[in-house]
Amino acid sequence: MATSVSAAADREETSSASKIKPGVAPLRVGQGHDFLLRRLHSLSGIVPVGAFLLEHILISNSTAMSGPAAYAVQVKFLGGLPLVFYLELFGIWLPIAFHGLYGFFIWYRGDANLIHYPWTGNWMYTMQRWTGLIAFAYIVVHVYTLRFTGVDLHDNPAASFGKVQQELSNRSYLIFYVVGLVAACWHLAYGIWLFLCKWGIVTGEKARRRVLGLSLGLFVLMTVVGLASIRSFVKHPRMPVAGATMEQLSK
Amino acid sequence: MAERTIRLKIKRQAGPEAEARWEEFEVPYHAGMNVISAMMEIALRPVTKEGTATTPVVYDSNCLEEICGSCAMVINGRARMACSALIDKLDQPVKIEPLTKFPVVRDLAVDRGVLFENLKKLKAWIPLDGTYDLGTGPRMGQKVQEERYPLSNCISCTCCMEACPQFNDKTNFVGAAAISQVALFNDHPTGAMLKEERLRALMGDGGVHECGYAQNCVEVCPKGIPLTRSISRVAGQVMIQSIKDLFGT
Repeated sequence: MATSVSAAADREETSSASKIKPGVAPLRVGQGHDFLLRRLHSLSGIVPVGAFLLEHILISNSTAMSGPAAYAVQVKFLGGLPLVFYLELFGIWLPIAFHGLYGFFIWYRGDANLIHYPWTGNWMYTMQRWTGLIAFAYIVVHVYTLRFTGVDLHDNPAASFGKVQQELSNRSYLIFYVVGLVAACWHLAYGIWLFLCKWGIVTGEKARRRVLGLSLGLFVLMTVVGLASIRSFVKHPRMPVAGATMEQLSK
Repeated sequence: MAERTIRLKIKRQAGPEAEARWEEFEVPYHAGMNVISAMMEIALRPVTKEGTATTPVVYDSNCLEEICGSCAMVINGRARMACSALIDKLDQPVKIEPLTKFPVVRDLAVDRGVLFENLKKLKAWIPLDGTYDLGTGPRMGQKVQEERYPLSNCISCTCCMEACPQFNDKTNFVGAAAISQVALFNDHPTGAMLKEERLRALMGDGGVHECGYAQNCVEVCPKGIPLTRSISRVAGQVMIQSIKDLFGT
């Protein structure tokens, strides 16, 4: 099989009557890197991005339910991890940027057709794109406001509870947080199911339905824990941001 | 007694480069008629609803029993076989368009050559030719037969490709039908000799990775082929092959 044949030449081969417009080109055997990029995109959504989201919601954020002191201890622990900046850069920011931006490219290349084919799978296909957009927009704002502006929480973990409360005291921000949380949880839960199907780990009808049930369960679990954590910040009396110390919190 | 009629709205196009236009028809009703027999009525008397003389509608068809795969078209917004689209079950006027993802030759006839090209690129056959008699091949077990039989029912109608959001000229995705044929031939004891070549072909641009799992293919398939199962199975085989190639070549 000649691998140097370009897509354009292939198209001409298909429609020998040159007046017929080209249409979709045949498979480009041995050409391009889309396979690698698509698989990296798929994998990055699970590890590290998905794994991080699980930790973030189910482990770190949930400590807020035990109060400001427990939350500050968790933030202090995370901020004190060795080479924390590089962990953030290579484990969180770059993978999210790749997953999000390449995801938009995948979205652009697909043609949603829900109007004529309004079936569940097709709805989920479209939802995966919209929840991705919402989650990505949310993450950019969230990282900017909590990580890159105001008090640095790696240096002042004691101020973390108050800083989040400050953020959530704005009603439109609170709504944005809830919507962003639900979108991110859905995107990951359904994304895990997609990953298992697309990598050929789950193949049978029955197995697919079962795993879909587990994915939906994970969505519910993450959403409930996430919302409960947000509620803890909103319901707790306001904590100081400036000048907060760990000793104050442990009283 | 007034004769019962049915209404059709058909997208016409005189040639590959001509402008498309809509024409409406009113034709006599017959019990059990389908979209093809309705268009046969138009061919008998090619006059639009307004009374203007026109040409009979051009379309591909052959067996008229949903086994040849020729007469796929978009009927009331969905890709399906015209021969099994019963008028009694369709909203009127029945809106008939050519498949939208393939170049129009004329009216409802489109060029679906890309599927044939893809099947060739994927070596969707069993290699039996030699310079001498190769003898009989290995026997196939009942389980393998049962897995393969549904896949062998593909009629190359391209409905799965038409309904797929990923099958377009941006991704140039190979489509569910061709991937399912890879599953069919990889499972054959003799066909498996070309397994690696098929899997490597599917790693090229437009390969199995372009599937977005919208699953429309399974819903529209007139033969009920488990296309998403095929895609998952083949995607797994491609993944394993790519890892083998990464470490073994």
